[in-house]
Amino acid sequence: MANQKSYSLPSIMTSDSSLPWLLPLITMLIVFAIIPFFYNIYLSFHEFVPLKRALIFVGWDNWIKLFTDGVFWGSLKVSLFYTFVCLIIQLVLGMGIALLIDSDDPGFGVIRSVLTLTLVIPPAIAGMIFLIMEDANYGLIPWALKSIGLIGQEDTILADPSLAIWGVMIVDIWQWTPFMVLILVAGLRSLPSEPFESAMIDGAKPFQIFRRLTLPMLHKVIAVAVLIRGIDLWRMVDYVFVLTSGGPGTATYTLSLYSWQRFTFVQWGYGATISLFSLIVILIVGNAFIHFAKVKW
Amino acid sequence: MNKVLKQVIGWFIAAVFFFPIYFWITVSVKKDKDIFALPPKLFDFELSFQAYEEVFGISRFLYVEDMGAVRPGGGDFYMMPNLVDSIIIALGSTGIAMMISILAAYALSRLPIRGQQHFMGWILSTRMMPPVAVAIPMFFIYKNIGLMDTHLGIIIIHALMNLPLAVLLMKSFFDDIPKDIDEAALLDGASRFYVFWRLIVPLAIGGIAATAVLCFIFSWTEFIFVLMLTQTGLKTIPVVSTSFVTSTGTAWDNMAALGTAAIIPAFIFILLVQRHLVRGLTLGSVKQ
Repeated sequence: MANQKSYSLPSIMTSDSSLPWLLPLITMLIVFAIIPFFYNIYLSFHEFVPLKRALIFVGWDNWIKLFTDGVFWGSLKVSLFYTFVCLIIQLVLGMGIALLIDSDDPGFGVIRSVLTLTLVIPPAIAGMIFLIMEDANYGLIPWALKSIGLIGQEDTILADPSLAIWGVMIVDIWQWTPFMVLILVAGLRSLPSEPFESAMIDGAKPFQIFRRLTLPMLHKVIAVAVLIRGIDLWRMVDYVFVLTSGGPGTATYTLSLYSWQRFTFVQWGYGATISLFSLIVILIVGNAFIHFAKVKW
Repeated sequence: MNKVLKQVIGWFIAAVFFFPIYFWITVSVKKDKDIFALPPKLFDFELSFQAYEEVFGISRFLYVEDMGAVRPGGGDFYMMPNLVDSIIIALGSTGIAMMISILAAYALSRLPIRGQQHFMGWILSTRMMPPVAVAIPMFFIYKNIGLMDTHLGIIIIHALMNLPLAVLLMKSFFDDIPKDIDEAALLDGASRFYVFWRLIVPLAIGGIAATAVLCFIFSWTEFIFVLMLTQTGLKTIPVVSTSFVTSTGTAWDNMAALGTAAIIPAFIFILLVQRHLVRGLTLGSVKQ
């Protein structure tokens, strides 16, 4: 091989080295991921002062403010609640549906195709779809709930501080449960059939088979699905933006939405601090999850 | 479980998930009186394509007279420029993301790289960044370098957003191609780049198409970057669709017309690449 190289370029510049292949990617990641990250840290120690029309160094003020700000703690609680409750509902519901439609019979392919459709709807538009369906006056969800007596005649969903977050979560559950279903079905379909056949012969009950065979064998697939869905749930901002804009009051502020809202109120430094907090949390939790669940790419 | 019962429940579930989409499409072809009717009119409503005309501009200046009343918002519902913006941005960002990611994925799949695991971890960590945490600093950087409110600015940020997906997914497609092909060609004296370009890329063309479709869809549906990094110069469809909500009311039919027009192409695309969808959704780690 070596004697074929009659040209004299240093080996690092030829296509035998990995550097030229990775250089565009590394450049892109440095310019548009690393620099913004450090700029965000810079911003979190500064605040825009309207009188001086400039960013002024404020030391740890933004971080002190963060930990004493009730709205921040509220939005952290909403983000955690939203992420974990949606994740559990989507996983359980997704697993149930996946077990049901994991079949070669004709028809189930079409059902799986129908389920892929929700995934490509822009989340903002999915929010709109539910905004009209949950409208207090003419929405069909409140109407249906009133008809069967689950909520009172005067009740609303999105204007009620305790129900509003569920009004947002229902959109996420509708749009992303199929995500879990499709991944879990793919996982189920790739399992070998022999262990299941011998378990059946041994007379194991369906639940035992699920508990002892299916779940452990699906471990990796479930971990990947939970990781990706968890990241996206934590980052979610489109649905609350469209459905409630964080209201009523501050009841449905998530970290991302609160950060965006502070940003639009020209509290640039504080907005950056909130977003940085949210970023650090997901980096730590995400990478810890990858490590402990042994997810491999 | 009984096979027939399984079918019935399966179809019921599919219907439940499809219902909001169906309802949304009906809103786009209903008149106001039917949109606000309770119990909801799901099948027996009067068809009207008024909303599509207003949004896509066939009779954009006629709507006030036709309806006999001033429409909510009263603004201009002509959305053709936004559709064009969306297409330019989705195509541009997909192109950039694919060019960068195919090269990088080939190296990650074939060449020895020091600290490969750390590098992959870095790419994955980029996937975790909340859009807001990127958009706030980018707002200032873009203001300074003049990319604020431009197509190029959004194209670049959407390409960045899609890079982790594209790199990891393309790597998994390249990993599927036997390395013997490379080795044999290299022994025959071909250069790495020749092997990549003439042998591996044609073999991976199905995977490249699937990755490109997913990048296109994620750019097409992205919301917060466009919201924060544009002002008046451009708006993509997800962002502009929120502008139908005004203080005097919401133009539901127009919004639904735009929304329907935005999701139908995405439906067709996703059904075309359905075979690779799960692999795409899991960034290449679960294969169908």
